[in-house]
Amino acid sequence: MPPSLPMRWFCRCYLVMLYAYPREFRLQFGGDMQQLFRDRCRQVARTPGFANWLRFAFHSAADWFSTLFQERMAGVREISVQKCATKTFGVVRTVWSVGRREQPRGFVAEWAMTLIIFLFATTTLVQAYVVPTGSMESTVLIGDHMLVDRVSYAKPPSWGAHLLPYRDVQRGDIVCFHYPEDVRQIYVKRVIGIPGDRIHLDNKQVVRNGQRLTEPYTQHIDPHMDAYRDDFPQSPRWDTTPRGRLMFADDVHDGELIVPAGKLFVMGDNRENSADSRYWGLVPRDYVVGKPLFIYWSYDAPTSDFEGLSFDHLVDVTTHFFTKTRWNRTFRVPRAQQAEVAR
Amino acid sequence: MSKVANPQDLLPLTPPVFHILVALSDDECHGYGIMQDVARQTGNALQLGPGTLYGCLKRMLAAGMVEESEARPDPSLDDERRRYYRMTPLGRRVVRAEAQRLAGAVTAAKARRLFDRPKTGAAEGV
Repeated sequence: MPPSLPMRWFCRCYLVMLYAYPREFRLQFGGDMQQLFRDRCRQVARTPGFANWLRFAFHSAADWFSTLFQERMAGVREISVQKCATKTFGVVRTVWSVGRREQPRGFVAEWAMTLIIFLFATTTLVQAYVVPTGSMESTVLIGDHMLVDRVSYAKPPSWGAHLLPYRDVQRGDIVCFHYPEDVRQIYVKRVIGIPGDRIHLDNKQVVRNGQRLTEPYTQHIDPHMDAYRDDFPQSPRWDTTPRGRLMFADDVHDGELIVPAGKLFVMGDNRENSADSRYWGLVPRDYVVGKPLFIYWSYDAPTSDFEGLSFDHLVDVTTHFFTKTRWNRTFRVPRAQQAEVAR
Repeated sequence: MSKVANPQDLLPLTPPVFHILVALSDDECHGYGIMQDVARQTGNALQLGPGTLYGCLKRMLAAGMVEESEARPDPSLDDERRRYYRMTPLGRRVVRAEAQRLAGAVTAAKARRLFDRPKTGAAEGV
């Protein structure tokens, strides 16, 4: 029996949820757990009734939630115990953890925990964001709602650089940042140049540090040439903003843009229809919010619907939720991709 | 290192661990098979989710109560991704000791006429 759409969706959902488990546990059992989950899905699909699915979903969520804590806590204990104890003590510990259950947690305590984590996570670790323009098509579309990872590109504190997966922005990364012309808006683009890079465009092709790039992620919708757009950097034009003009004055030398320290040169993947660094200048590193984690909902609607709250949009969503949601984009991960050097 | 462990030290087992061992007592089995068997044993009262099942298996592997087996006993269900588990002699001793302990508890409860109530059907859960 071929897997039905909700089933595939469930399985994909579970795959994402598996990432919450400690890495070691996931590597050892993740594949099996996914298999088990799929088998269980098939079993539920054989019994008719929507209530079964609901019960299954609740049961799976509860299972995930409770074991998540158990595994995480076990990891913590193992590390601290291994450091200070001998092998014999290790035996005692394993025996202890098999024989007795971990501390039972009450219903209220569990939900309080969820709430705290949720509040903490939504303010400091991840942020929800909706893409309003098509400048990054075909990588991200208008109406993609995604979670943005705020941790990776954050400035690591001096005491815990290894605590969380901090990592600096690299070429090819997709980043979300405050739009320098209006910091209330958040834009998403791809990083083309990091500090020190020499960049120019030649006939729509990026030349970075003297190397011509083949970029598999770009989309070209307009065969015509536009000298400003496709042979950047020429000279400022009517649609170059003041910040853009500043970039032309300060950072363009001998027909090449040299990215200064603390700035990034970003462009949309939809090269001919993207207002990006070519028009409004470089992005300060401090303006970077984070990187897209995954798309949790993708809704097919025009740009105007995602600018502010509109009543029409609410009506549209309630009436067309199932038909206009792009289900196949759910839980997709917009990935960083490296450009190759063309020969 | 776990060969030296005394089964009595591992008691009492949690219900999932006990039922997983019972499921493995006849034959080696893969995760989904264990899950189905446990549901059958308990009349669907205990449905092991993936997290619970593999969390238990992890600790049981560490304690030496079960081990991974290389054999693929059921060719019709065979799948590269499925891993099969088998009970070790220690596991067998542990589950016996636990069954004994439970039997003792049940006998004690019977002696106090706790089973004479009309609703005896509820006793099959753990």
